[in-house]
Amino acid sequence: MTIRVAVIGNPNVGKTLIFNNLTGGRAHVGNWPGKTVEKKEGKCRHKGVEMQIIDLPGTYSLTANSIDELIARHYIVNEKPDVVIDIVDASNLERNLYLTTQIMELEANMVIALNKCDIADQLNYEIDVEGLSELLRVPVIPTVATTREGMAELKDAVLGAVKGKPTERLVKISYGKQLDGLILRIEKALQKDEEMCMKYPTRWLAIKLLEGDKEVLRMIDKSSSKDEVTDQLLETVG
Amino acid sequence: MEKKLNELKPGERGVITRVEGAGSLRRRLLDMGLVKGTEIIVVRKAPLGDPVEFLLKGYNLSLRKAECDNVYVLVKGDALE
Repeated sequence: MTIRVAVIGNPNVGKTLIFNNLTGGRAHVGNWPGKTVEKKEGKCRHKGVEMQIIDLPGTYSLTANSIDELIARHYIVNEKPDVVIDIVDASNLERNLYLTTQIMELEANMVIALNKCDIADQLNYEIDVEGLSELLRVPVIPTVATTREGMAELKDAVLGAVKGKPTERLVKISYGKQLDGLILRIEKALQKDEEMCMKYPTRWLAIKLLEGDKEVLRMIDKSSSKDEVTDQLLETVG
Repeated sequence: MEKKLNELKPGERGVITRVEGAGSLRRRLLDMGLVKGTEIIVVRKAPLGDPVEFLLKGYNLSLRKAECDNVYVLVKGDALE
């Protein structure tokens, strides 16, 4: 059995270094079909399990505004990798966790690599790793990519995540009472299109619709739930 | 007083009050942590005033003058707050 693992993170978090550490630097470099964005794939074997590792473009978020972000998002949504490793810069936690919340909304089976722990130490940052893990209900592994610290633990966590059921540990991110109510109403309207709701996380679709995400709006245009969803959106946006 | 981000001098600090601009630019600025309520400090400016380096949320960020034009801040020490 081969498990597919995607590596994602903000630019300059050490994503490529971790990718190289995991794959031993023997990556196959190509392009994403039709796009001039590099696609890197490599293999890794851990405890008898083969992992196919894909390096996704470095992004700050997962909107439909740039090719990089779209590629990363399409890969997670459509290809549904078994595990997504989200690499988070421990020395810049607040900005990095924004992407983490976006991946959570895509309901991906995630493992967090808390990288650059050495730099965070130098800055005297004290990070409650267990607390973070409990809060997000996602395994969090402290790493230092430059010295390969935490790589074995990271691979262990990936194997562990494959066995675990992600649906049991999904955390819903609240946008406040008012917006949560709207999201729920749009979710209900979306449910008419069962096929689409099977394919994409419904809550994520609803949030993207409220954001005015062009790609998701186009998807709704072709959906059987179009009328209901449009009604709800018109009502909420006014 | 509310100012545009590029009207601040090096060493000055402000709190972001709003971010404007075309869809994708505004979105990118928000993604990078330039959200309402965030404290931002001007670290230095390049010789011709473009680009400008900022410190926010514990990291350094460089922006073009034109991009700063979309960000409004409330300078610390001023009234209203």
